[in-house]
Formats: sequence, structure tokens, C-alpha cells
Amino acid sequence: MTKPLTRPLALLAEVTYRCPLQCPYCSNPIELAQYRRELDTATWVRVFGEAADLGVVQLHLSGGEPLVRRDILELVRGASRAGLYTNMSTGATVADDAKLERLREAGLDHLQVSLLDSRPDSNDWLAGAASFDRKRDAVLGAKRLGFPVTLNVVLHRHNLDRIEEVIALAQDWQVDRLELAHTQYTGWAFRNRAALMPTRQQLDHAHAVVERVRAAGTDGLNIQHVLPDYYFEQFPKACLQGWGTVFMGVAPDGFVLPCQTAREIPGLEFPNVADHSLEEIWFNAPVFKRFRGTEWMPEPCRSCDRREIDFGGCRCQAFLMTGDPAATDPVCHLSPDHHLVDEALQEAQQSDPPLHFRVMSR
Amino acid sequence: MKEKRLIRLPVLAMGARYRWDKVRNQHQLVFPEGMIVLNETSTAIVRLCDGRSADDLIATLKDTYPGSEPADDVHEFLRDLADRGVLRDKAVD
Repeated sequence: MTKPLTRPLALLAEVTYRCPLQCPYCSNPIELAQYRRELDTATWVRVFGEAADLGVVQLHLSGGEPLVRRDILELVRGASRAGLYTNMSTGATVADDAKLERLREAGLDHLQVSLLDSRPDSNDWLAGAASFDRKRDAVLGAKRLGFPVTLNVVLHRHNLDRIEEVIALAQDWQVDRLELAHTQYTGWAFRNRAALMPTRQQLDHAHAVVERVRAAGTDGLNIQHVLPDYYFEQFPKACLQGWGTVFMGVAPDGFVLPCQTAREIPGLEFPNVADHSLEEIWFNAPVFKRFRGTEWMPEPCRSCDRREIDFGGCRCQAFLMTGDPAATDPVCHLSPDHHLVDEALQEAQQSDPPLHFRVMSR
Repeated sequence: MKEKRLIRLPVLAMGARYRWDKVRNQHQLVFPEGMIVLNETSTAIVRLCDGRSADDLIATLKDTYPGSEPADDVHEFLRDLADRGVLRDKAVD
């Protein structure tokens, strides 16, 4: 019996999958229509209390669009009273000044706003909805109210060439942090991989721009630039610092996930907050033990010096690419499946398929 | 390499705050997307980043811990926090 040594630091609460936007790299499940049920207010607030007792420090209220929940203020208040550092990831299209002010009063600590591109027409095309102006107004309003604001821009073939404009916009809007996050190819993004994958030249250019801006000084703007693992990494990323190590997610319908995209992996049984406390789930649920630690690992991970550095990489990526969630992440150059990464890159360079936008159709 | 600047008026960045973790019995500095575990000394420093000058802060620490010479350690810690984006120097804003 291996006893887990850690307690979770972060809880992702996907309070709804409903969203007015249709981003083609959304991390929500493809089969959205299967998951329409949503936990009620009291259950979420109980879950936040259980999370705090379990040792969670940071709560990420997310979705879908968390602001479409009519009880979002009560949820924020409940999280804040439980002592959690409360973040919200929002598309911000339904965040007017009055709502932002009430969120601040309710105890929201940090607002993360998504932006799809530096230019309104491209942002609105990628979002599937006119949204640029509302996002800008929400960011400026949040800054006036004294929120720390992170602007999150998911990068891919269709916006990467404007990375310099994106940075300039973040500076102009005086956000505190800018996350330049290259697309992670799970969920809708995996479906759209060949349409989203940038070229090597685009990536080299973007990397050079970020380095140049950093060297020149960012004037208080904290820039996080997460490089895409398909291209740049010899080794896989330490996904979530290991399965069941620091992170847990709760889906809108109350199922508890070791990773927000773990529902893509068939054969896993997820416990529900209606049946068990978060503490019972964290320590005892088989799905949290499934890839925890190093016992589950195949070669070449099992005997690798890096097995407790990158934990074999991303389980969802391993499943999506190889069909086996227990395989070494193919991004690793030691993986017997590493050729799949090269093939995906080649496919993306040679084709320009249309984007499938996120829809909640049945 | 970043030059070794001195931070004169240290204030926590927006969204960064001290937190006592009752589960782990731990002092923490929490901020958007991150957390630093603080020891006793760094906790004392963080709690004094309240708008007073770094010189004042160091003098207060010396009073609290007689016989200590915390100046170098304080400046290094403040620089480290600033590099991580969780501390600002109000004197240069």
C-alpha cells in the first residue's frame, strides 16, 4: 500500500460547460451535450469547504463560462469564506462593470480573461461571436476596480504571427500577467490539431519576439510563455506535476477528475461529489491512484532517471496519440511512439483543414 | 543576468497575499497561479511589506531579532520576489 504523500494544491471547478463562445481549442469534452446536468449552489459551496479542509490553496472557477451561472456570486462568496484563493477564468463577454464590482465584493482574488487574437475581426472569428470589444471593456473595468488581471491567449497557427501585437495590447490594457499559452492538443484542440499546429518558422519568430521583449524590459508585465511540447521538447512536460499529486477537477455534473480532460480516456470510472467527500476521493478513489507515483509506468519511463521529473508526461496525450493511456507520452524522444509526433507535425505542415468550432449539439 | 538593484519601497503585487495554511501548518505567500512557502524570517519580511521602506523594514527586523544583520538577505529575498512578479518597488512605479 503506497500512501500518497501530498494533498492537492489546486481545485479546478468547472461550474458549467455552457459558454457563449465557440473556441476551437476548448478543453471541454467533445460530447458536451452528454453533460448538461450541473451541481446546485449548496453542493458547490460544500465542495469548496471540503477542498479547503483537504489542503487546496487555489480554486479556479472555470467552465464553460462561469459567469453564466446565475449563482456565481454565491459561489465566489462560498469559496472565499472557505479560505480559498479564488481565481476565475472567463471569456468576460458577460462581465459588465456592475458584475465585476460585485465579484470583487464577494471576494474574488484574481480574474483571468481569455483573448483569442490581438485584432477584433480575428478574435471574433475564432470565438465564433463578436466579443473583442466586450473583452477589452471587461479588462479595463477590472483594472479600474483593482483586480489583478491575467490575459490568457492560446496560441496557434492563426494568431501566432501577431504575438508582438498581443504583447503590446496587454501592455496597453495594463494587465498584470500575460499568459502566452501554446495550444495543448487535447479536447477540441486534438480534433483541430492539423488546423491549429503552427509551423516551426512561426514558433521561432514568436520565441524571438518574447525574448526581445523580455530583454528590453516588460514594464511590470509578467509574461508567461509556455512552449509547445510537440516542437520544442526532448522530454514531455510534467503534466499537473504528476497524476493525483497536486490537482483535482470537478466537472459541472459533480464528477471528480484527476485532470480536466481525463474524460477522454475510456475505461476510467470517476467518483462523484454526491457520493463521497473530496478527501475520500483524493486518497481512496481508484482513478486517482491509477497513474499516481511511478508504479504504473512502462519502459522506458520505469527505469528512467527522469521518472519523477516529468512523470511520464501527459496521460491524455498518450491516450489520444497511441490509444494507450499508460504509454510513455510520445513527445518524449525515448518513446517508441515518438514518430507519431513527427507525423502530426508533417500532417499539419502539408494541410490546412477548416476549424471545427466548439458546439453543444447532440 | 539581471543587475543587482535595490528595492527601496517594497509592496506586494496586486493579488499577492500572506496566508496561513491550517492543513499544512505553513506560512504561504499566494498569488495568481502560484504560491511560495515561507519560513519564519521570510514571513516576517513579507508581513512588513506594507508600504514602509526597505530600510525601515530591515531596522524593524533588527529590533525583532537582536544581533542579526539581515540587510543582504532581505534585499536578495525582495529581489527574488520582484523577479517572480509578486513584489513591486513603489519607488520606481
